Amino acid sequence: MAQISKIFNLHVLICRNYKGDVDMAEIDHFMPLLMQHEEEGLICPVMSHGSVHFMWIKHSNLYLVATTNKNSNASLVYSFLYKLVEVFTEYFKELEEESIQDNFVVVYELLDELMDFGFPQTTDSKILQEYITQEGAKLEVAKTKVPTTVTNAVSWRSEGIKYKKNEVFIDVIESINVLVNANGSVMSSDIVGSIKLKTMLSGMPELRLGLNDRVLFALTGRDKGKTVVMEDVKFHQCVRLSRFESDRTISFIPPDGESELMSYRINTHVKPLIWIESVIEKFSHSRVEIMVKAKGQFKKQSVANNVEVRVPVPSDADSPKFKTSTGNAKYVPEKNLVVWTIKSFPGGKEFLMRAHFGLPSVENDEMEGKPPITVKFEIPYFTVSGIQVRYMKIIEKSGYQALPWVRYITQSGDYQLRTNV
Amino acid sequence: MPYLGSEDTVRELRRALSNPNIQSDQLRYRNTILKVIRAMSQGVDVSGLFSEMVKACATVDIVQKKLVYVFLCSYASLNPELSLLVINTLRKDCQDPNPMVRSLALRNMTNLRLPSLVEYVEQPLTAGLRDRAACVRRVAVLGFAKLHNLQTNSEIDAAVVNELYSLLRDPDPVVMVNCLRALEEILKEEGGVAINKPITHHLLNRLKECDVWGQCEVLRILQRYRPQSEDELFDILSLLDASLVSPHPPVMAATLSLFLSLCSGLPAVSLAALERVRGPLLAACGSMSREMRFTALCHIQLLLRSVPGLMGVHYKRFFCGYAEPAYIKQRKMQVLVELVNDENVAMLLDELRGYCTDVNTDTAQSAISAIGHIGRSYSDRCLEILTGLLGLKQEHITSAVVQTMRDLVWVCPQCSDTVCLALEGCEESLQDSQGRQALLWLLGVYGERVSCAPYTLEVFIDGVRSETSLGVKMELLTATMRLFLCRPAETQDMLGRLLHYCIEEETDMCVRDQALLYYRLLHCGIEETRKVLHGRRSDPSLGVLIGRPAEPISQWACSFNTLEPLRQGTIETESASRGSPEHVTFDPKPNTDLSDTLNYSHIEKVHSGSDSTTQRTDSSADILASNITVPLSLSLSPALSPEEFEHLWLQQQALHAEQDPEKMKEEEDYTYMEERIHCPAIPHCSPQNLQAAMQLVNIQTLAFTPPHTLPWRVYLYTHTQRTSSADMTHSTLILGELLYTGEANQKVRVKKGTGDREVVVEGREDVQIKEQEEATGDGLSGRELSGKDGEEEGVKVTLKQQPRDDKALKGFLSILTTVLHTLSSDRA
Repeated sequence: MAQISKIFNLHVLICRNYKGDVDMAEIDHFMPLLMQHEEEGLICPVMSHGSVHFMWIKHSNLYLVATTNKNSNASLVYSFLYKLVEVFTEYFKELEEESIQDNFVVVYELLDELMDFGFPQTTDSKILQEYITQEGAKLEVAKTKVPTTVTNAVSWRSEGIKYKKNEVFIDVIESINVLVNANGSVMSSDIVGSIKLKTMLSGMPELRLGLNDRVLFALTGRDKGKTVVMEDVKFHQCVRLSRFESDRTISFIPPDGESELMSYRINTHVKPLIWIESVIEKFSHSRVEIMVKAKGQFKKQSVANNVEVRVPVPSDADSPKFKTSTGNAKYVPEKNLVVWTIKSFPGGKEFLMRAHFGLPSVENDEMEGKPPITVKFEIPYFTVSGIQVRYMKIIEKSGYQALPWVRYITQSGDYQLRTNV
Repeated sequence: MPYLGSEDTVRELRRALSNPNIQSDQLRYRNTILKVIRAMSQGVDVSGLFSEMVKACATVDIVQKKLVYVFLCSYASLNPELSLLVINTLRKDCQDPNPMVRSLALRNMTNLRLPSLVEYVEQPLTAGLRDRAACVRRVAVLGFAKLHNLQTNSEIDAAVVNELYSLLRDPDPVVMVNCLRALEEILKEEGGVAINKPITHHLLNRLKECDVWGQCEVLRILQRYRPQSEDELFDILSLLDASLVSPHPPVMAATLSLFLSLCSGLPAVSLAALERVRGPLLAACGSMSREMRFTALCHIQLLLRSVPGLMGVHYKRFFCGYAEPAYIKQRKMQVLVELVNDENVAMLLDELRGYCTDVNTDTAQSAISAIGHIGRSYSDRCLEILTGLLGLKQEHITSAVVQTMRDLVWVCPQCSDTVCLALEGCEESLQDSQGRQALLWLLGVYGERVSCAPYTLEVFIDGVRSETSLGVKMELLTATMRLFLCRPAETQDMLGRLLHYCIEEETDMCVRDQALLYYRLLHCGIEETRKVLHGRRSDPSLGVLIGRPAEPISQWACSFNTLEPLRQGTIETESASRGSPEHVTFDPKPNTDLSDTLNYSHIEKVHSGSDSTTQRTDSSADILASNITVPLSLSLSPALSPEEFEHLWLQQQALHAEQDPEKMKEEEDYTYMEERIHCPAIPHCSPQNLQAAMQLVNIQTLAFTPPHTLPWRVYLYTHTQRTSSADMTHSTLILGELLYTGEANQKVRVKKGTGDREVVVEGREDVQIKEQEEATGDGLSGRELSGKDGEEEGVKVTLKQQPRDDKALKGFLSILTTVLHTLSSDRA
């Protein structure tokens, strides 16, 4: 049970006392408490002052704090705070102090709809956007139409949507998370995938999506081509879960516009698509020499775009010199990084970068961590897992023809390679 | 904009609000109101504008209405009279054709939080319950909860409660959930909303329609329901199965919570549920949000208390990312410590060593103490790492390492040699009092073996005048005293100086009293002092093996999915693993489903016999009576403490090592025996089950390694009582060890030893021994058995009996075998 009593932002930008069981002044203890914990190095997402517990998250320069005096359900409260961030972000693009200041009216309206008496109410931003609009702040004797969705059976889609050209865009995006040890062994790797839709369809269409899901293939007795085992599959609420559970069919009435249809995780051992070998030699009081070799371990036909290899350097390094076999290297002193950018990196190729830094003769006493090398990239027209959209059927009672467009992309997620120095 | 003081601001705003020109221009009017709200949010006291704002509330502009309501709800309690004026507008709005306006009016009417207005609010609220629009009903339902909250001691209106119950059938799922929430609040005194069978089934059937929040609410409330039959229970469980692996962590956690409360009588089902949530929990540990990750980790820690092996193979998921906040890293390390086993220990320690040099000193220190914990089982590897860390000469690392070594040595005295070697020279990089205290303790206890100990202490004693830490001074006193006992020549002079300083000059009473105490103790003579200071402590080396006995799920089930697990700063792994098992209280209630399955004929015999002995141990006549029907009975009393157990076990082991095993068999007062029982699933069985099953037949399990670890061990004991002739009973003590080394190590080794039960009852022993000598012939059957099963995977049983009684031993073995087989087939 979420016994959230208030939501606050930094300097108490906005606050809402939902239940009235926690004193409004309690929030004044939050910042001092946070500072104190920060000094002691004991920061924790739950802090207490007397009988009041503060559960907080930070988003850009804002703190969103829920206060409660009950032993409430922690994961529910955090989920709600993140939901707030999600909703606000969808309204204001960026959620930060300025956007709250500028959109105060909408923020108050939203806070009212999202939660009542400490209980989450309507939290779907698609629905909220139908009756709380930023245009409302302009004056057109605000919309008085009741959103059908608040009572409708299909709560995520309104009736009477019309498009001249009916299209659906399907994006299959996979992010790879890799952690490689200093001695080159892969400690953990997984793929987090998501299928996003941009729906521009009229009326109330019924969609069915076919994937090369191994469980489905096994069910139907087919066994041709590559199949994929998905774990932790999450669906948008529009997907009929009962059908998925019984025969693995993904059938749904899509929300209008952009939405995430499903996400999944695949826990197989993937070969890191971009392999990095690095030699970082540190000669105290004189110099650091860095040699980084990057190798594309994917199909020759594919190309990785906007590859960025970020190599950490000591904070007191100076006078950088670089030599690269391709791309550009740049020193970013404020982050203590060398960023090596390669615009286009074909599969199977290997590139080299050397960097040389001077070190001051007086040694820096402070302990420095050993940050890992991180890599960013994007490979279009390719999925690591091999997942494929086999078909997308669109049926609407008016019988129009609609076109599905599919795009695949693989990108780096949390891609870390530890170094020795 | 020029700076205006709060009074000026308010004056300015009031003028604007009451300006008719502005009032007639809707846009300007709304902007002025916006300014008021902005000022309010910035902490300016704008309560003086209340009457102007009340007027502004009568408008068709819904946004302006909302703004005014925000203002009114904040200040209504300061102006209860003026608030009456708002009620009229609000009540009019409740008739508005637009449902948004109706719900807005209702919500704010109840948000005013004024008890004086309750009478005006009740009627529109009741009407709201029957509104066509769901959004109005949602607000109205919660409105009643708010009203009740305003006047908690007022009579509960039965009509309203009935209406709310009937609205549980509302087509809108949010209305349904809100009804539950409201009834919970209103009926708090009576224990919340009544959950009967039809309501439960209705809620379960509609669970899928609800959003995440609603599902959590329903699942939480259903915890109060008790199914009437087992069939019903399993129907509910299978309905809930899909939510158990829900990708939404709050739903998953709420479902597990419900599972645990429904299955509190069925440990096997609860354990299966824990296994089932492993996947979703691990997924939550990799969630994008740190707070969710943190919450998931805290809850995993709870689960591990009962099923230590749950996450064993997934240990890599708990490796820390570089950028993770310290609070997550620390929890992950606590989990990692629990997951260590023979296979992953190298990898795990390698990883932990990396964290020891973390920039965040707290993380580094936690990593070091985590290594220390693992050191209790894998001391050599860990000491190597710890010693290596000392070489870094980093102040905080050295301090943490020395403290960790102190704690490790206390538990594993066999590590002391390595520790003594490592101590040389580390006093230079110790600054904080905690670290210095640890060093002093080590120097005091192992002073003989650290050559520089007196010199190090002398430095401390010379600086005692400027010492600020009380703890360091106390520790210094004790350490110097201890060192004096083993190296008197080198220490005498400095001890004298220290005592003199502490007694004559020290201002702190604690230190002074301590010094006086030692001074007087020395007067009693050196031998007396030695007795006091070097008193033998029980050897806790067995503690390593013992590990922490897994707790029953019920110990933590009620705090699952609440705030509590997050608030337990560091879970008490420390105290729990150190405490000897005798302090751990187990749920004495017998495991019901186990007793049902244990219906082997001779177990039943033993069962009844053991019952009688536990009830009548003191009366010998009763024992006789029971013995007529039961040839062998087991009893738990007198209880054996772990120390006694260890003492007896080791004593017999020593004897065994000295002598040829064959001769051993002929030893008259005790016997040992090795046996192999084929029951592969046993090492995966939870300690509770094992413990409960053993207790049923009156065998006490004393110590376990956690399930899934290799080698897996259990220590147990029991007393046997057997009637050999009509008026003669004799009792023996059996100590046993179950050992499972895994498929890799197929060797069979079963030992069995017998020794005198208690020195006190020597008188009777003589007679018994003679009888046992007659019975030795049968003692070898166990050997043949082990030969047969030797090729297969099995649990090795080592038994030591004292005094020897082969019949009793054989009887005991068959009971034990049956229990293990039963448990094993139960698992399969």
